[in-house]
Amino acid sequence: MVTETVTMMDPAGLKAIGAALAVGLTGLASGIAEKDIGTAAIGAMAENEALFGKGLILTVIPETIVIFGLVVALLSL
Amino acid sequence: MRLLQKFKRGSSSGSKGHSNYAYTVSRVRAMKSKLLPKETYPRLMNMSIDEITRFIGESGYKEDVDELAMIYEGVDLIEHSLNRNLSVTFRKLLNISEGEVNFLIAEYLREYDIWNIKTILRGKYCRASTEEILESLIAGGTLTYTFLSGLASKGSYEDVISEFEDTEYYPILKNYNGTNLSDIENQLDKLYYAGLFAVAGGSRSKDRKLFAKFIRIGIDIKNLMILFRLKKAGITDPQMMNLMIEGGLEIELRDIQKLMPLSFEEFIKQLENYSYWKEISDIVNPGMQSLIDVETRLKKYRLKSASSFSHVYPLSIVPIMDYILTKRNEVNNLRIIVRGKASNLSDGVIREQLVI
Repeated sequence: MVTETVTMMDPAGLKAIGAALAVGLTGLASGIAEKDIGTAAIGAMAENEALFGKGLILTVIPETIVIFGLVVALLSL
Repeated sequence: MRLLQKFKRGSSSGSKGHSNYAYTVSRVRAMKSKLLPKETYPRLMNMSIDEITRFIGESGYKEDVDELAMIYEGVDLIEHSLNRNLSVTFRKLLNISEGEVNFLIAEYLREYDIWNIKTILRGKYCRASTEEILESLIAGGTLTYTFLSGLASKGSYEDVISEFEDTEYYPILKNYNGTNLSDIENQLDKLYYAGLFAVAGGSRSKDRKLFAKFIRIGIDIKNLMILFRLKKAGITDPQMMNLMIEGGLEIELRDIQKLMPLSFEEFIKQLENYSYWKEISDIVNPGMQSLIDVETRLKKYRLKSASSFSHVYPLSIVPIMDYILTKRNEVNNLRIIVRGKASNLSDGVIREQLVI
């Protein structure tokens, strides 16, 4: 007689993996998005210092992605 | 999409390293915002040369005017300050860019290398002094001022040419025998465009295709201007095909071959088939006396098209090319105003020449 063993994964562990993916992937996405904006902001600032404020604000806008990721992670835990 | 474009670019460019498009383009756009606005030119028209010198000395040309004020004065001071600023600006573009974008800018600015080689050869041809040659150089390309001044101080054209032995210019320059200067100059210009095509046509990315289109429109306009001058002078000699540059967007070499034997009236009639006609249709007529209007209009069209192209792919080489053209145009306009005023030309004549 053949017996089949079923391994169950711990739901808490899966949640933790999900949360980690949510934060990790959104963090990477924010980084990629901010890379070009940041370098562009530095370029504009090198010519005109008054653009510092605008450059800073535009650079951190993709930060919202990782914040959403964090919210999803916190809700799932 | 951008990643895909980067991959396509990377596979066929002759450049090395990472390209900093975002940094270079935004810096160049900030530089463009500092150029003189259109409203400045009518104001400059009402100023005397000294007032213009002062105005320029307080604008983006301050450093250049301050530095050269000890050596030159009046019109010469402005002229040399403008040239110095142009070469410093273009050199800056080469310094702030990396990888592929640097490679493309260098290819485009090779025009100045060729200009300088021509200037030195012309100087040697008419036995100009080293100082006179140095005054006419614009070190905006890849050849440095130090290298060029070394060339200018050489005794003969053979010594100048031997310095280029390892470069791509040598196969052309070695044929120079002291008399065929115009032929060598034509070949150098053609080499420049062939190089640009090799660079622009090598990639399948959309922004590079736009770059190629941008260059080809420039060739069309150059060819059109040459054709206008030839036709106005009544020249129909097929030998003149040597002057034409290959690779235009709408007006290809075979079209030019058809246009070459025509008279001025017939030539104008044929032009109606091309899209450039709508830009110049209201000023071109068979009895026109001067070609200045047409040339100004064509140059204006080129600037306008460059500016609209630059918005299509914001992170590409095109906005940088647009800046190079606009900057060069600003320097030309200032030079026209100053030289015109110094020669006591009327305001109307100077205004006609301005490309605003």
